[in-house]
Amino acid sequence: MTGLYTRWALILGVTLLLAILTFQHYQQHLATLPMGTLLSSPPSSQPVRIQGMVKSGTLQGEVEQGQATFEFVDGPASLVVEYEGPPLENIRELKTLVLIGRWDSQNQVFKAQETALINNFGFVAAAYLVSVLGLGWMVFAMSQRVMVLFKEIKESKLYEPEADSLGYKE
Amino acid sequence: MINRIIRQIQRYKGWFGGGAALCIFLGLYTGLLASPPDYYQGELVRIMYVHVPLAHTSTLAYSVLFGGSIWYLWKRDPLVDNMCQASASICALFTALALITGSIWAKPTWNTWWTWDPRLVSFTVLLLILGGYLMLRRLVDDPVRGGRYAAILAIVGGIDLPIIKFSVEWWRTLHQPMSFSTRGVSISEDILIPLTLMSIGCWLLFAYMVMVRTQILYLTELLHAKKGRLLSQTHFSQTTP
Amino acid sequence: MGTKNKKIAIIVSILLIAGSLGYLAFGNFGENIVYFVTPSEVKAFTAEAYSKKVRVGGMVVKGSLKTQPEPVGLTFELTDGANTIPVAFQGIPPDLFKEGQGAVVEGQWRDGQTFHSTMIMAKHSEDYMPMELKRAGVELPKKDFMKTLSQ
Repeated sequence: MTGLYTRWALILGVTLLLAILTFQHYQQHLATLPMGTLLSSPPSSQPVRIQGMVKSGTLQGEVEQGQATFEFVDGPASLVVEYEGPPLENIRELKTLVLIGRWDSQNQVFKAQETALINNFGFVAAAYLVSVLGLGWMVFAMSQRVMVLFKEIKESKLYEPEADSLGYKE
Repeated sequence: MINRIIRQIQRYKGWFGGGAALCIFLGLYTGLLASPPDYYQGELVRIMYVHVPLAHTSTLAYSVLFGGSIWYLWKRDPLVDNMCQASASICALFTALALITGSIWAKPTWNTWWTWDPRLVSFTVLLLILGGYLMLRRLVDDPVRGGRYAAILAIVGGIDLPIIKFSVEWWRTLHQPMSFSTRGVSISEDILIPLTLMSIGCWLLFAYMVMVRTQILYLTELLHAKKGRLLSQTHFSQTTP
Repeated sequence: MGTKNKKIAIIVSILLIAGSLGYLAFGNFGENIVYFVTPSEVKAFTAEAYSKKVRVGGMVVKGSLKTQPEPVGLTFELTDGANTIPVAFQGIPPDLFKEGQGAVVEGQWRDGQTFHSTMIMAKHSEDYMPMELKRAGVELPKKDFMKTLSQ
């Protein structure tokens, strides 16, 4: 029965396509640049995404009005951030988040215009992989089992399985 | 009557499988790529699109098992018994996956993989009940007797369903309350689209899986019967001169 | 598998189910289940309960959060509407922990003055929407938070 394998090749193909698209989406819109790389790379006018933690005792400014300055730490690296943009919904000291902005190497300050929550994409990917693989494997194993059973019944040649979709006798 | 309905529906099981694949692929696309992150959880909200459909499909599967068990005890229809057994094993898979994805969601949001929250405990009890149900069926030698015991067990275990559903409303929990309730719908449209697609996809997939599994159970019985007949024939030809 | 082993296995599986169902019906569950206590109940603690490890759920009072740089930690207030208790925690709190949101803290009401927490869990509400809607001031219907505490 080639039908089964053709069908599953199609399903596998679409799943892989979705996985590739998601990975591209992640790299283009969600991945962050390590702070150390940003500090050592040549100045660029492109906005970048960096991840870090707001250092304790450094957050100042009108958070509700969308203005703040703070120190941003990522491991051994740290930098000073001046934020000006939409009101900050999700900011507090000791919180890890993502900033979108430009590194001003002359004034040694990161000018942020937008924030985002850390993407936690490892968790998202894990949840999707577990569910898709778990369900897909089970359905595939079941379809294959039906195929094998039909073959075995046919080979035991006493009588043909009924034409009924289930094989039940009326 | 129900026997005939089940067989009629079985004939169209390919449509259920195809529909499930379509809905789930659309759901995966919108859920992973074409929907915005949540204001408070960010990208993590995407885990909801698999966790929630898996969880309520598993309660749907248990409802099928519960209803089917009552019907079986009443009418003793072997097809319904097969359907119950099929629902139970598929329900166990959905329950386990819902627990795993829930745990993956809980770590970055709540800050723990597991906690003794009423919703989590009642859901784990569902998995234990299913484990017991499947073990019982496998271990009792007489399949008719095993089916009867298992049906009684499934009906008694049904008290877990309302407990799961309302645990987040009745007791203090870390798990958030229901998003669909008399209070209204507390999920915005963009986030509702992938959730609905995945939910419909999971329901259809469950229906498809139950049909295929029921078919497997029947075909296995058929094969056994045939082999038995072949065996008795050889036996017959050997013993008679 | 021998018949005897099989019988044992059947009994074990029935016990397993009966046990879990019994737990649902009579155990820690049902009427008596308390996943966390509220700040009001903590305030009513007597001295012998001070050293006990408990979970307390409440809402983080807006404007009460203060962090310390060395050693890294924070203090905040937890309320159930009627009563408020101060909480101290050493370490970095989870990312979803936020003022005006729910939290469940594990620890001890050690001296009858401050709750010393060893673990913070963030409780999130059941509303989901994109940032644009939140900034536009949309409020989706949700359960009154204080009600979720007083059950």
